[in-house]
Amino acid sequence: MVARLFHRREAQVVRLVFLGKFGDMAPADLAQIALPGDVRSLADLQAWLTRTEPQLGAAMAATKTRLIVNQCVAHDLSQSVADGDEIAFLPPMSGG
Amino acid sequence: MRVRITAEAFDPQAEIASFTAGRDDAGALVNFVGTCRAANNGAAVETLRIDQYPGFTEKEITRLADETGRRFDCPDMLVVHRVGVIRPGEAIVLVAALSVHRANAFDAVKVLMDYLKTDAPLWKKETGPQGARWIEPRPEDHARRLQAEKG
Repeated sequence: MVARLFHRREAQVVRLVFLGKFGDMAPADLAQIALPGDVRSLADLQAWLTRTEPQLGAAMAATKTRLIVNQCVAHDLSQSVADGDEIAFLPPMSGG
Repeated sequence: MRVRITAEAFDPQAEIASFTAGRDDAGALVNFVGTCRAANNGAAVETLRIDQYPGFTEKEITRLADETGRRFDCPDMLVVHRVGVIRPGEAIVLVAALSVHRANAFDAVKVLMDYLKTDAPLWKKETGPQGARWIEPRPEDHARRLQAEKG
């Protein structure tokens, strides 16, 4: 069934970067991952992460999380996810 | 604007000397150095670890320094920020500004520091006898950031 789903739409492989406290919670195998075919937007990606990693999803929902796609700030979660993208999840920052 | 992210300990005086070498266009130099404390809110700090997002962190700090330099008419600003593991007493951040007169250089350093506290893509983790914890901006950091924006 899963194989058939992937057949219909080429699996997209993306790199996920988890910064700060998110980095402590994210399993290493998420660093490079083939996404299920129904993950088309950043919102879909966040929903999928929440399903597969509930603790990480809850931590992201509990704070202001910024998404960076290919080193540019994503302002709109309807933005598409493309094969080869690097998507970073940033918790609140604490420089200085 | 000069921005440097470094995993090595740095000497603020040497950085300032190199920043100001040969400059005769500015009558004022203001600098701020933030160092790692041995205690935070009464709890001992053994090490501080600062994580960056390589590439993005330097790009964002450069953008903040450019904006601040333009706003306060500073011909040059310098930011040196440590990442990696830092021990008490070591410098974490150096911000310096050159301007024709002192008021602009004072304002530029203060405002850029306020921005760095909340907007620089850096994440601090403190380790002490009680374990490790991630540091997030305090309400007063956000208040200062808002104030900095209003001018």
